[in-house]
Amino acid sequence: MLAYAVRRLAYGFLVVLGVLGLLFALFFVYADPHDMARRAVGEKASPGVLDDWIKQHGYDRPKLEQLRDHYWKMLTFDFGRSDLDDVPIARRLREGAGPSLVFTVPAFAIGLLLAIQLSLFVAYFRDSYIDRTILLIAVLEMSVSILLYIIGGQFLIGKILNWFPISGFDPDPALIPRFIAMPVLIYSLAGVGGDVRFYRTVFIEEMNRDYVRTARAKGAGDGRVMLRHVLRNSMIPILTNVVTAIPFLFMGSLLIESFFGIPGLGAVTVDAVQANDFSTLRVVVYIDALLFIVFQIVTDFTYTLADPRVRFE
Amino acid sequence: MRRGRWLPAMSAALAIAACSNSPYPSSDDGIKVRYIPLGEAPKTLDPAVSYSALDHAIIANVYDTLLEYHYLERPYTLIPGLAEAVPEAQRRADGRVAYHFRVRPGMRFERDPCFAPDAPEPTDREIVASDFAFALMRIADPTVISPVVATFSKVVGFEEFAKRLVARRDADPNFAAQHIDRQYAAAGGIDGLIVHGRYELEVVLREPYPQLLYWFAMPFTAPVPWEAIAYYDGDGGRPFFKEHPVASGPFRLARYEKHSRIVLERNPNWYGALHPEWRAPGAIYPSDGEPGDAEKGLLQPEYVGRPLPFLDRIEFRLDKEDIASFNKFLQGYYDASGIIQESFDRAVQNGGLSPAMAARGMSLAKSVEPAIFYIGFNMKDPVVGASGGDRARKLRQAMSLAVDAVEFKRIFNNGRDVPAMSPIPPGIFGYDESYTNPYRKLDPDRARALLAEAGYPGGIDPKTRRPLHLTFDAGSPDTRSRLRYEFFIDEWRGIGIDVELAAQNYNAFQEKVRRGAYQIYMWGWIADYPDPENFLFLLWGPNANAVNPGAPNTSNFADPRFDALFLAMKNMPNGPERMQIIAEMRAILERERPWIELLHSESYALYHGWLHNVKPAGLSLPTGKYGDVDPELRRERREQWNRPIVWPAWALVAAFALVVTPGIVTFFRERQ
Repeated sequence: MLAYAVRRLAYGFLVVLGVLGLLFALFFVYADPHDMARRAVGEKASPGVLDDWIKQHGYDRPKLEQLRDHYWKMLTFDFGRSDLDDVPIARRLREGAGPSLVFTVPAFAIGLLLAIQLSLFVAYFRDSYIDRTILLIAVLEMSVSILLYIIGGQFLIGKILNWFPISGFDPDPALIPRFIAMPVLIYSLAGVGGDVRFYRTVFIEEMNRDYVRTARAKGAGDGRVMLRHVLRNSMIPILTNVVTAIPFLFMGSLLIESFFGIPGLGAVTVDAVQANDFSTLRVVVYIDALLFIVFQIVTDFTYTLADPRVRFE
Repeated sequence: MRRGRWLPAMSAALAIAACSNSPYPSSDDGIKVRYIPLGEAPKTLDPAVSYSALDHAIIANVYDTLLEYHYLERPYTLIPGLAEAVPEAQRRADGRVAYHFRVRPGMRFERDPCFAPDAPEPTDREIVASDFAFALMRIADPTVISPVVATFSKVVGFEEFAKRLVARRDADPNFAAQHIDRQYAAAGGIDGLIVHGRYELEVVLREPYPQLLYWFAMPFTAPVPWEAIAYYDGDGGRPFFKEHPVASGPFRLARYEKHSRIVLERNPNWYGALHPEWRAPGAIYPSDGEPGDAEKGLLQPEYVGRPLPFLDRIEFRLDKEDIASFNKFLQGYYDASGIIQESFDRAVQNGGLSPAMAARGMSLAKSVEPAIFYIGFNMKDPVVGASGGDRARKLRQAMSLAVDAVEFKRIFNNGRDVPAMSPIPPGIFGYDESYTNPYRKLDPDRARALLAEAGYPGGIDPKTRRPLHLTFDAGSPDTRSRLRYEFFIDEWRGIGIDVELAAQNYNAFQEKVRRGAYQIYMWGWIADYPDPENFLFLLWGPNANAVNPGAPNTSNFADPRFDALFLAMKNMPNGPERMQIIAEMRAILERERPWIELLHSESYALYHGWLHNVKPAGLSLPTGKYGDVDPELRRERREQWNRPIVWPAWALVAAFALVVTPGIVTFFRERQ
């Protein structure tokens, strides 16, 4: 198991190095620092002021020196300052993680519980019109872009029904629920359709196995069969789905945060893209890649928790 | 049991009933707060660095300046702010010009820990002349990266100071570790900034530059305490100075959650609050304005002559999406709003406020901004430029006659904007409403005739026997912008000229302009200050980009007569003589056509009925202190417009039960 872990970590490290190399090529070789300078200082700044900015940010140094610095800083988690407003990037990430998690975690939990419950429900009533109706709704739901849910939600819930604010965010704990209600609703519902279809398939496959028939023959009730046997034995695909989704919870949602004005990490990414703030963008992409790799490895290890028969080779 | 089953549904319904779409706590309802949406987060609140309208919307209310603009008068007029009077230029025998500012004694910075970091309570100190000199030295400091270095380089010794500072820092690493004021003092200060006693500041310029006074009405020159720069360095949990202004304006920064909300509250240390007996022009509501202001309710007796400010708080909320922001305005959660393109027809009908908006008690304000958008020719180009002589001139004239700015604004700007006849927009001295540029009206027949005279009959280039081929460079490759550029290309195609669009990203476009590798381009300019010099310098020969890379004359236009007139005009006070010179300069541009003037941008704003004393301004003015709101009327309207509608929640639950229950019943019946 240790050898497996070391091997996976080594592969992960190589991937990280590759990601960092790509980031440097994209953001600091291809991109022109004058553009970044102009965005930071302003359109009317004279060429001399732009040159001062470029010098101060080290973009006038030889590319090899910049590359070495880039690798060293990223691998030691020294993220430096934003090209746009010169604020420490680590601080911006810390500030953004809270607002992202405050809506992604409840949204993910609600979405997951809803999807599992609905899947068990339709799997239990499989081939009935309930199954077919809910599946049809699920297919329709997953076919529609999340953008439509966002704009439709803002229009219907925020503007017509007046239930929640159309957009905005306030860190005051008393006001947070009001602001995250609609983003949570949309984030959780937007993914339910696909999850219901996937989990339903998993559950139905398990329901056709011999041990389920045996359990029923021994007199186990429907609830016990579905929750104790079918659900438990379907944990590996569920865990895979859950653990691989966790990095995205940290990094927020680009569209939802942008449209709802939530100052999370998704908004950090969008702002960095729009402002050509490559120093921030590389950190966001790098952390995204790191989290993804780490949680992929974690997923492998959680299999042993879900199924003791799984062994690492 | 039955009651228990209904509990979750009832809780949900109650929760929805208790919901509100208000983004603000109810405790704010009775307070005079002005809510303003921000389209993006501010970059910096450092007055030496900030150069965007968005940043200035915040810091203009926080930082007071020596001079400021009269709130209502147009053309814009300077009045004293922190200075006792607007200074007169004093010409010296050596050609230099000096301005003496007398700072009002007894003004104080806001209370802040930076003045005595070890004291239990924040303290303050008096504002003195050396604080203004310090602010200007910061502009010269290359590590500050101020975008207005070039402007202040006219101050004697400005550049030399920067060089000495850099040399001292490079030579001795310990030097840079000293307090910033000590560094500036050790570098010898700026020769042209002379502080006499506590309250006198003399600014000496190398050459006449009367427009300098306008810069003293902008946040760049606001007084900055050196203690704040030293203290707010980002270490030890302290914010950076650019996030924590220590200023002297009517409002102070109370909260700075840059990516969600920024809150300003009244500054009890503002000179208007400390010394109401001065009745300083910048501290009381004006009693006069431009014609029509009284009819617009901007000179109401209950406000005229009253001490400012009227608001208790100003809240900026980050709202990146225009549609969401506009809808929140319609719900009453913002007090004023621009009009988004999607809702323009709903808000404006026949050039006025629509009946639907009028019924909600709103008003519409239109204002022309001090800006110009134009199509420029590269006068260094052999085909369209000056070396092409009369032939190229006629080509430019023909192309100008083919462009219909009125149709352009109708199609792309909902009819907003004012067609431009010259570079000078309305509201700026030199603008003549009666003037019509004969080359700025659509006349395809005359354009074709001029093309024939230029040697391109029917647009055909005799050398190639094909339509004359030109290139149109533009700095925005997105589809929306391309459609706009294509509009002009279609019009030129109409007179037989084949113009190819070269749309690229802005950086590549700038690089092309810098290298002079373009023929025709499109650009715009927004004024820094309300003077014709700030527009006509865009066509002054010595400012040609080809001569002086990075200079603003991107058309490389150079005309000896125009250049001489510009020099005479720029140092002249407004008056008939200046107007006459501007008219002659305009005539040169009319004939030479280095630009096809397109539009002066016009902004439309909607105001709710509870918002008072708001006058649109194209420049960064400290408008917050003049505005007022009626919180009671706002609360009533919000309640009326935002009652939650709960029945759809019940309908949804009922629909789900109706669909699922028969299925469950049938399933179990079959199973039995």
